[in-house]
Amino acid sequence: MKRQLAITTEPIDEAALLSKRRISDGMGAVLYFLGVVRGTEEQKPIGAIEYEAFHRMVEHQFNLLFDQMEKRWPVESVRLVHRVGVVQVNEPSLWVEVVAPHRGEAFAACQWIIDEMKRVVPIWKKPLA
Amino acid sequence: MDITVHFYSYFKDLTGCEQTSEAVLVGATIGDLLKQLIARFPKLGAMQNSTLIAVGVDYQGRNHVLKEGDEVSLFPPVQGG
Repeated sequence: MKRQLAITTEPIDEAALLSKRRISDGMGAVLYFLGVVRGTEEQKPIGAIEYEAFHRMVEHQFNLLFDQMEKRWPVESVRLVHRVGVVQVNEPSLWVEVVAPHRGEAFAACQWIIDEMKRVVPIWKKPLA
Repeated sequence: MDITVHFYSYFKDLTGCEQTSEAVLVGATIGDLLKQLIARFPKLGAMQNSTLIAVGVDYQGRNHVLKEGDEVSLFPPVQGG
């Protein structure tokens, strides 16, 4: 399974990511998810979220998750980008793409890695006014 | 033996620092270290049940035995995405 991870302070460039997509003939499902900063946090308006990461551990934990993903589903590739630093409301903070032979596997794997990320990957957010 | 401890997220506010060093007895566990840290930084006490702890880049439980030179990180539940 091909894997690509980026933890970046730069805005997520969807067009550049899509232009670099490579899939083989056997793949029938390409799924990508964009997580966007909402304008409220605990029902209070905010202007942005500041993301903090424990970088070395983030990379290690994502790689452990990718290992598990590879064992559970026939995923050909996963690409994941997570912003750190200040991300304004309406801007994406997370981009995940999963390529698999069928949609069921792609949906399941994508949902799973986001759920697991929120459980074990050491990234925190702080709402800003 | 000396253990380097890193704090992340609002644990930095609770302790007033990003990093500290704590001397523990040989054979001490993460649970022992946590008790000492709570004595030094009482505000950590209220969070102890939800505190996540890593040695290096791997999560470890309260019974994990520490060794000289370990780098331990304490932080609240993660919130990526």
